[in-house]
Amino acid sequence: MRDIDKRYDAVVACRGASLQVQPGEVRALLGSNGSGKSTMVKILAGTVKPNGGQILIDGRPVTINSGEDARRLGIGTAFQDLSLIPTMTVIDNILLGNEPMGRWGMVDRRQSFADVEALLDRFQIGCDPEAYVQTLMPSLQSMVEVAKAVYLKPRLLLLDEVTAALHRDEVQLLFDVLRELKAQGTAIIYVTHRMHETFEICDTATIMRSGATVADVKTDEVTLDEIVYHMTGRQPEAEEAHDGGRIDHGKGDLVLEVEHIALYPKVRDISLRAYKGEIVGIGGLEGQGQPEFIRALLGVMRHNDGVIRYLGQEVDFHSPADAVNHNIGFISGERNREAMFPNRSVSENIFAGRAARGRLFTYLAPKVVRDFAKAAVEEYNIVVGSLKHPANSLSGGNQQKLAVARWLAMNPTLLLLDDPTKGVDIHSRREIHRILRQCADEGMTVMISSSENEELLEIADRIYVFYEGRVSGMLAGTNKTPERLAAAIMGMKRDQNGVAREAVGA
Amino acid sequence: MIDVKRALSRFRRSPAFAGFTLFVFVLILNVVVQGPGQFFSSRSLNTLFSKNMPLILTTLALSPLLIAGTLDISIGIQLALVNVVSIMVAQEWGVSLYIGFLMGLLASLTVSAVCWYLVSILRLPSILASYALIYVVRGVNVLIMDKPQGQVPAVFYKTYDSLIGGFLPFSALMLVLVFAIWAYLMRTKFGRNIYAVGGNPRNAFAAGINPAWVQFQAFMVKGFIAALAGIALTLMTASGNPLQAEAYGLRALSACIIGGLGFGGWGSMSSAFFGAGFLVLIQNTVYYFFNFLYRIIPGFTVTSYWQNLVSDVIIFLGLLMTIVTAKEQREALKQGFVEQFKGGERDDK
Repeated sequence: MRDIDKRYDAVVACRGASLQVQPGEVRALLGSNGSGKSTMVKILAGTVKPNGGQILIDGRPVTINSGEDARRLGIGTAFQDLSLIPTMTVIDNILLGNEPMGRWGMVDRRQSFADVEALLDRFQIGCDPEAYVQTLMPSLQSMVEVAKAVYLKPRLLLLDEVTAALHRDEVQLLFDVLRELKAQGTAIIYVTHRMHETFEICDTATIMRSGATVADVKTDEVTLDEIVYHMTGRQPEAEEAHDGGRIDHGKGDLVLEVEHIALYPKVRDISLRAYKGEIVGIGGLEGQGQPEFIRALLGVMRHNDGVIRYLGQEVDFHSPADAVNHNIGFISGERNREAMFPNRSVSENIFAGRAARGRLFTYLAPKVVRDFAKAAVEEYNIVVGSLKHPANSLSGGNQQKLAVARWLAMNPTLLLLDDPTKGVDIHSRREIHRILRQCADEGMTVMISSSENEELLEIADRIYVFYEGRVSGMLAGTNKTPERLAAAIMGMKRDQNGVAREAVGA
Repeated sequence: MIDVKRALSRFRRSPAFAGFTLFVFVLILNVVVQGPGQFFSSRSLNTLFSKNMPLILTTLALSPLLIAGTLDISIGIQLALVNVVSIMVAQEWGVSLYIGFLMGLLASLTVSAVCWYLVSILRLPSILASYALIYVVRGVNVLIMDKPQGQVPAVFYKTYDSLIGGFLPFSALMLVLVFAIWAYLMRTKFGRNIYAVGGNPRNAFAAGINPAWVQFQAFMVKGFIAALAGIALTLMTASGNPLQAEAYGLRALSACIIGGLGFGGWGSMSSAFFGAGFLVLIQNTVYYFFNFLYRIIPGFTVTSYWQNLVSDVIIFLGLLMTIVTAKEQREALKQGFVEQFKGGERDDK
């Protein structure tokens, strides 16, 4: 019996994480957002290099510097964000880098067809092997991605959230194949957010939190609550409800009402409300449709279905400028791409929101811009060298405060924030929270999306949790506890006895 | 019958289809304007091939680069490099022109390697790096040959202009050679790898492919075909000129785009051929169309610049059309996804 043993310890995303898997074992790798699961997978697949630590296969240390190395060592990977080439056919994608060779260095076409058709049959993928991958449904693309990894006949198969786009019957099909591979002695590392899958297919589970592996369990010996405990680091139900927010929502005026909005494929069916003077949180795992939802509200992306009512009127913004003219502000966590003009000065950056309103060729006196910026900098404690310095001279936290200041200076009715504290230091984060709370007290409606549970619990009055493009839970008041949030994020609902159950329609 | 249907529908979806449609359209137009009897005469076909072979080959040379997600617009002046090296080697060393052509090939491969180093290793933006390279190559050309001079032995250019068996233009033989090599390469790993690297270098790397190495191979293929184009140019002009053919780079690029090659991982060498054919035939058609006008309207005379203006406007419209069709395809694809999703939702309930 061969032992496949991996240890590794890197600085940034992973801190001394280690993981072991035996032949014929299916091991789940669990953890919440940013806990380092995907990083671990990428290191094994050779697309990310670790800063330290060791990988051992059959007890021998190996180095994996490229996808080629990983393949040579018998590691096949199905990536979360897919590694298919959209402009190539299914057959070319599956065989890529591993074509059966015929005479004179040519690819054996007949063999290729036979191999791929057998493989597609095994997965019951009903598509033309010569179809271009970009024309396939996302679920089929995921299946092809797995088929591609399996084609290598790997000794170690890495599956990173491959079921996210799959239908239920496709998941069952996949599991049948996995059981077969397992019986043949393939070691499988299975990353997922769907707990029931863990219990169904996996023998053991390694749980990660903040880049470290915190527990190593057998799936038939643990309960869901224990896993959630390891992931959040909290004892379920042991803590009192957070009292970070007020509960008296519903008294104010309805500012935003969204009914059954859909933007395929990410957003399926979202309905929510936001009232005057409250902070609404949007939680959930990454990729459950939060950014798309916010951009659909703003008109950056056009939604396919549903109704948005804003201040009692049905609206459908055609562009963000349209939304801005309706007094809606937007702050993105992707500072460099969506918020900052990095090479322009601090004062110009602060003034940009104001400048977007008004006529294009109105004369802007430098003094007006300067005074406006100066007031904002002082009010929001932004640490700047000079107002004339470029915005990218500031730290991440201060840049974000700058973005917040830009919008708050315009006093919007509704402020949307998409993961605004991403990569922001703790001090600036508190400052931003303080400012947001103050604004809400003054009657602004704030809607904040965050992948960090702590942040949501701290700042939001009510939290809507997104799961696979739908709202899986709304937490407010005494319901607003870390473990309930964690459960809703997993798509689970709790029954009366507090025992975790799978959410319907998962 | 069903096989024919399937093959047809496959061809409709293939990247070469858009270019093929344009090509057939302008081909019919040309035949109508020129008259079928005259167009299909072997003399007129021979002229068409031999006068345009450098441009067609240049376009073909550019296609592997575009597929691999890179570019070299200095390819035009590289033809002149092959031209001056071939002529000067034969003239100064007193050796056969064959040796000259061989040295021209080496020069072409060397420039390609330099361009590859700038683009794939130093990661300079390909359009800027190769644009700068135009001036470097031009300087080298003038160093080798300071003014237009030299000549090609008559046997060479007479062969080039001859018809094999009385109907096949000799220059078309070069085309056949390139396509044969390409057909072979497409059946090797290289044929898959350049599409993967052009389509998504990161994923290609994850699949165990070395993108820089694949791009190097693509540059070598380009260097080889560009050398053939330079040889065709030498045989066509039968003399040396260090400052010619520079515009071929951008014209070949627009021919590629019209033919349906995208920037990375999409299209084929046939696309390039159809694109180049479109360019060539449009000019031909417009020429004959103006001749026709001269004949039927007495006293109608305009400068030949009008011909260029008309044909270039049509080429511009062709470029515009590729954008429109690409956008339509994307929209149709998106709509299809939404429909399928809605269908899936209904099934769930």
